[in-house]
Parts: sequence; C-alpha cells; structure tokens
Amino acid sequence: MKRRNFLKGILYGTGATAALVGGFGTFSKHSPLKAGATRAEGEEATVFSACEMCRNQCPIAVKVKDGKVCKIEGHPDDTAFGGVICARGNAGPSLLYDPQRIKKPMIRTGERGEGKFKEVSWDEAYTYITDKLYNVKDQFGGEAIALASRKGPHDWFFRSIGRALGSPNVFSHEATCPMTRSVALDTTFGTEGIQADYANTKYLISIGRNWFEGIHVAQTRAVSKALSKGAKLVVLDPRFSITAAKGEWLPIKGTTDLAFVMAMANIMIEENLYDQDFITHYSEGFEKWAEEVKDKTPEWAEKETGISKDTIIRITREFAAAKPNAILDFGWRTAYTPNDYQLRRAILIVNMMIGNLEVPGGYYKTKPANFLKNFPDLAGNAEGLGGVAQPGFPTPIKGRIDGTGVKGTPGQIIPAYDGAVGKIIESILTEEPYPIRAWLVHRFNPYISLTDSPRVLEAFKKLDLLVTCDVYMTDTAYFSDVILPECTYLERYEPIFDMSGLTPKYVIRQPAVPLVYPDTKPYWQIYKELGERMGLGDYFGFEDMADFINQQLAPTRLTFEKMKEIGVWTPSGMKGFYIRENDSKASLDNVLSTPSKKIEIFSEHVEEATKQGVPNYFSHPQPEEGTFRFVQGKVAVHTNAGTANVPILNELMPTNTLWMNPVSCRKLDLKDGDDIVISAGNYEQKGKLKMTEGIRPDSVFCYHGFGRISPELKRAFGKGINGNNLISNEIGIVGNAVTSTTFVRVRKA
Amino acid sequence: MAKKYTMIINLAKCIGCQACTVACKFENNVPEGQYRTKTPATELKGTYPNVSLFFIKEACQMCQKAPCVSVCPTKASYYNEDGVVLVDVDKCVGCMYCMAACPYNARFLNKETGVVDKCTFCYESKVSKGEKPACVSTCVGSALMFGDLNDPLSEASQFLTKHKGEVRKPELGTSPRVYYIYEGVVR
Repeated sequence: MKRRNFLKGILYGTGATAALVGGFGTFSKHSPLKAGATRAEGEEATVFSACEMCRNQCPIAVKVKDGKVCKIEGHPDDTAFGGVICARGNAGPSLLYDPQRIKKPMIRTGERGEGKFKEVSWDEAYTYITDKLYNVKDQFGGEAIALASRKGPHDWFFRSIGRALGSPNVFSHEATCPMTRSVALDTTFGTEGIQADYANTKYLISIGRNWFEGIHVAQTRAVSKALSKGAKLVVLDPRFSITAAKGEWLPIKGTTDLAFVMAMANIMIEENLYDQDFITHYSEGFEKWAEEVKDKTPEWAEKETGISKDTIIRITREFAAAKPNAILDFGWRTAYTPNDYQLRRAILIVNMMIGNLEVPGGYYKTKPANFLKNFPDLAGNAEGLGGVAQPGFPTPIKGRIDGTGVKGTPGQIIPAYDGAVGKIIESILTEEPYPIRAWLVHRFNPYISLTDSPRVLEAFKKLDLLVTCDVYMTDTAYFSDVILPECTYLERYEPIFDMSGLTPKYVIRQPAVPLVYPDTKPYWQIYKELGERMGLGDYFGFEDMADFINQQLAPTRLTFEKMKEIGVWTPSGMKGFYIRENDSKASLDNVLSTPSKKIEIFSEHVEEATKQGVPNYFSHPQPEEGTFRFVQGKVAVHTNAGTANVPILNELMPTNTLWMNPVSCRKLDLKDGDDIVISAGNYEQKGKLKMTEGIRPDSVFCYHGFGRISPELKRAFGKGINGNNLISNEIGIVGNAVTSTTFVRVRKA
Repeated sequence: MAKKYTMIINLAKCIGCQACTVACKFENNVPEGQYRTKTPATELKGTYPNVSLFFIKEACQMCQKAPCVSVCPTKASYYNEDGVVLVDVDKCVGCMYCMAACPYNARFLNKETGVVDKCTFCYESKVSKGEKPACVSTCVGSALMFGDLNDPLSEASQFLTKHKGEVRKPELGTSPRVYYIYEGVVR
C-alpha cells in the first residue's frame, strides 16, 4: 500500500510534463517502445550541421526520426571532435522544442521593462523599426545607432543594416571575453589567427583558462589527450576549477598573474633557459623586455602573487625544460584587469622565449586556403571561399564612440571589428562623446554579459529604440521595443564557415527540421527583409541562403549539395603541418604580419597607443579584511548568458551559489547553504553560500549567467546570483570589460 | 559466441561535464527530472590549498549476481545472452522490489511508462548494432570505454590487463560488469 502511494506521488507530482502518458500505477502492460512508440514507425535520417549552443560552431550529426530531432552527436568524420559533443550540444533538441521560445514578433505596449507587448506581423515590426531608425538618423545622425551581437556568421547581415545607415558603432561581444588576447596577438604577431596545439604539448600552464568547464570540444579533447600522454598541467586560479583538479593548482592572488609571468621571464634570462637563437632570428625588442623584467625576481613575485618563489622557479624550469613543446596559455575570457592586454602580451613573449611558434605542442598560425597559397606544393589542397559583393558603405561622419582607430590613443590597437562594447552604455547615459539613441542587439544579452547590470538597465530606459533578435525573451529583450524571434540553428541554413586550423576546414549549418514555430525566421532573412524595407536592399545581393552559399563556393571545388551531404570538409589526405617542425630556422614571413615582419616583443604601435611598448607591471589593490575579490567563471552545462533557460540544462543546474573558504565563513559566522546578501558599493545581490576549501580565503566566486530578471525565462527567472550586478562598468585600456577588480562584502540575509 | 560486455570508467579522465548525462536522456527518451546515468562530483577532499576532487559516473552496474533480477516477481528483470541486465517492459508490473533491492540506486520508475527503467548499455539501439553506448561515444574527456571481455584483443580487455579495475561495493558479491579505474585520483 505504501508503495502504491509513493508511486502515485511520483506520477502526479509532475504536472509540468506534457508527455505524461500511460502507467499511472495500474498493473497494465506497456509498449516496449515507450515514448518513441507514440510516433509512427518512419524515416530516420542524419543531418550534418554545426552546433550553436555556444559560439564555437562544432560540427554535429543531427538524428531525425519521424520529422523530429531526437538526438545530436558530434560529427563522426571530424577527427578533432571524434563524434563527441558536450552536454550543451547534446541538449539542442531541448532548446528546439522549448515552448518558452519566442514565437512571434512583438512590439512593446507598456512601460519599458513592464513586460507588456503585443504580437505583430513581421511587416509591422519591420515598419516600426524602419520608422524609428530613420527618425534617429535624421535627428542625431547614423552614428547614434549602435549594433551589438555575439560575434558570428550573422554579423555580415546584421551589421550591414548599421553600416548602411552610416553608423561606425558596430560591436561584437569580444570586449567582454577574449579581446585583450586578440589585441596582444595582433600587436605581437600582426595576426589574431594563432592557435595552441594542446594535443601535442608536454607542459601546459593555465592562467585562469578552464578547458574542463569552459568547454571547446576540440580543445578540451586535445588537452585531455596531452594529459593522457603524460603532459603536466599547472593551473593558476584563485578558485579550484575542474581544470585545476586535473593538474597542480596554484591559487594565485587575483590580478597578479602578470607578476608570475614576468618572474618566469626573469628566471629564464637569469638561468639562461630561453631560446636565444629563436629570439635573435625572429623577434625584435627583446633587450627592452629583459630590462623590464630585470627586477621582477621570484622573491618579488612571491610577494605579489602569494606563490612561493621556489614554486615559481620550479615551474619555470620545468616549462623551459619542455621547450619548445610547452604552452603558457594565452587565455579565453581575458579581461581581468584594465591592463590585461599587457598580461596577454607578456604571456606571448614568454612563449616566444621557448621558441614554441610553428612547432608541435606550441602555437601555430591557422592555415586556411589563402595561407596555403604561399606554399606551392600545398596550394592545390584548397581554394578560398568567395563572397557576396556589396556596394560600398557610406563613410561615417563621426568617429566611433570608443575611439577605436584614433592614432596615439589606445583606440589605435583596439580591433575595429570588435570595439569596446561597454562604451555603448556610457555613451547612452553620459552622451559622451555623443549620444547613442537606438540600439540593435542580436543574440547578445547586455544585461547579463556586460558589467554593471543596473547601469545597463538605466541605459535601456533612455533609448529611443531597443531591438532584440533572439530565440528567448532574454532580459534585454524584455526591456526592448521590438523583439524579433529568430529560429534556432537546427532550423536554418547559414553561410559556410571557415574553421581552418592546422588544415583548411569548411563547415555548413543546415536545417535538420522545418521551422518548429512557423513565424520565426533565420537571421539572414530577417535582416535582408528589414534592409529591403529600409531601402537598403542593394546591400543584400542574394536571393536566399542557397544563392549566398553558391556564391561563396563558386571559387572552390565544392558545391552546396556536396557540403550538405558531408557537413564538414577538409582537404582529403592533407596532414596538418608546422612550419618549423623540421627546420628551426624556417622563414615565418608568411606567419608574421607586423610592420617589422618580426615578432614584436617591443611594439612601436603599442608604445604609440599606450606608452607601454613592452609590458609594464601595475600592482592592483588587494582586498582588505572583511572584503573579498569577486571572481566568476564558466560551467560545463551552461553557456554564459545563453542557456540558463534551456530545459535540460536548467534541470541539471538551475542556479548558482557563492563560494567562500571556511576560514572566511567562520569569521563572518556563515554556514554552508546560508541565504546571503553580497554587496559592492550601492549594489546588492541575494544568493546562497557554498562553503568550500576550493577557494582562496580572500576571494569569493560564482558561476556566470544566472540571476535572470526576465519573467518570460520561466525556469531561470529569479534564480541565483548575477555577478555583473556587482561589478562596475570599468573599461580597460583596450576597451575590455574589466571583470576581476571588484571587492564585495557578504552578510547573512 | 556470447559477449561479456563491460564499461570501464577512468576516473582521472572524467571532467564531470555531463555530456553523458544529456546524451543518455535523448538516446533513451528519459523523462524530465529522471536519469539513467548521472556523474556527480565526490566531496572535495583536503584543506585549502591541498584539495582534490573527482567525478564518479553512476548507473546500473550490470551485476552478474544481480539482486534486482533475483527479487523480481515477474521475471521482468533478466540477463540477456551477452550478460546485460535488462527489464522486459511487457513483464514489469512496476512493483519496485528491484528498486529497493538494487544496492547502487540505479533504477527508477519511469514516470511516462510506469515501468522500471535503468541503463541498458544502450543494448537495443546501439550495442546490438555494433555501436557504443551513447554515453561512451559522447564522452568529452575520453574517460569511458566499452567492450567485450570475451575478446582478449578488445580495447577493454587489453586495458584491464594493464590497469586495476575495481567494482563498487565488492563486499556485496554482486559481481558488477562496470569497472572503475582509480589511478591518478585521490580517494
């Protein structure tokens, strides 16, 4: 009897599950096919495409049965993926069929943030946006319109709208993520197209990089492979990440990473452990760097970093002994401090001191088709993609709000494609250097992704027009005037992506199933139709995505049909290569695009832009007693601001907690699981405490992407801590959103 | 020849990413809130800064002396010809005796079908067709291995000759076919 009651509890307690069928505690017989049996026996198919549960575009194999996506796997023919896909990639169908997706275009009817919208036709939405944008342009100029998106293949279409209106203010999300790394690569090598060859490395040092929670399937697999082959992993991080759990954890004092890196250089010079031939042959400015690190002794670094000098010396010796098959990692989300770009430059320089460029287990230049052209015996392997021609865009009348491109200022080295996206908020609120009045947002959620969330909301409220295109009613969408419902990646074609690594590689994204919600659209169609409505149709010179892809593939030996069939293409039989693998003096002229054609340890550009031609050390404040450094990080089952509401991922992790060391908990009389209030200045966030030995006593940590305020994200709404609610909108030297210089107080709620 | 299927879980390589957890849900249509497999973290051991942690995949241990099989009143739980413990959904009456008997807490009453559910090694959909279970083929850390111990040349057999595979709760004498490799983790 007891069991029967228990049974009833389980089954009736789950009203949310629409698919609740059969059973109900009767002793009846059941179909062996279970839920699958409700569908007719029918066709099964595999569609090769690319994932978009994060922005890495991993090649996938989508299993379709009876017209529905039933499962997603990694593409079996791509050796870097080996049929593997992460939890988020596996969860794709859960997003596709989520009834909480936005299904119709909407226009705001209530106050901003009140959540009152009316469903409208696409036509009405386009007309509304067109009228508003032209009003802003007529009154304030095209530059008063800002566009921001998570970087991706949608940019070509999305950005065309802004550029055609004469706006210079188009932004990617990169300033909140890897932009300082991009700047460092650009200024040191003259190219951002440098990757790490993790799979073959023998010694790997992470400075906060977390391959086992911030998962990039190919890179995570490569690091795993290296560890299996006996590579050593060292992880500098104020908190004990899963990556730290797989290596030697050095809980470094926050924001002092550059001291560690400079001490490595100091030791390598002092003990003559560096590759002098490489430095002489390929680089310039080394003597200025040597001068800069002369007093950056291990003793000094111990005081700065909290890591003992013996450890710093030992790690440096081990790293140098593994040369050139060692990697001091250049990071992923790289915006810890205002001068983070100099940490990234210093990391690259220390790598060059072991001569690990273009060798296995070091760093290499990506090798797309246009790169192979420089190598006669390889050039025949691949042809570069073509593109759809566009008329010239009007030259913007004013410069960008972030000063990008201005000589003699840091803007000189900020990549114009990315820009300092946090400046949009400042420009709206302070009207400096001039006001932004309209903002188009595509697959980006500034409320969660930018720092200083309350200020972001304030900025939203001041806009004449805020448009969001996304798959969910994100927090930003909730505050928008117009919401455009995009279909998911499983329902659309997209341009061919060039994903070249050690060899050229092309990947297609194609629909696995027809639109689940018929009034959603792919982004390329949305912006083409909007552009046509605005009289900007000339910038969208293609019929449909098939036509676009055919134009891309025209110069290659590939066809649209072939790409649909194979999903991912690499030149058959071509092996990845490293230019210096067999000749340590081989020319790197095709790799380096700096003005000097050398690796610029000292960079004239950086000197001009920031007066720091080689990296200088700045000591950042450390938390005083009673305050804690606030750090954030990624988790394997979620993607930043993107997946908190995806059913299965939300089920696996619906919320976050604040990590605190037991020593600190005792001082504050806090216990594991306590309800707490975290405060920074005037800002407060509620949350739950997790007491753990896996964090420095002077720091606290939470996973990023929670604390959502859009009630339409019904699963994620109101759960957890939004770390960016506590961090002020400090913009670093090269435009990066500074993430790790905030101190907080914690008290019992 | 009958197979002797085994799953080997190399704990040092598992990163707890839950790709297996999600792959299993879609492969086997597991209802919301229920799981055939999950990979929770062990409790953090040690004191700052000398700490350690690992993940341990949980699922049916495919016991060869399975309490769930012997306790089942309708013979719905059974060993198939390849030593895989399965549930015949036509025979299961949902009495849940097996759930109480399982020392690994690996079984649950599927709230959609009303019968007992658990890991099957993806026998019907994958393994019988020569493929690997869904969790194994999506494992990001390459921590999972699947194979036939009756084939001395299989990767699994070869691996177990070089590494010590341990079963969970050996004192119960259930003879599981899921082996855990603890090399490189702090227990």
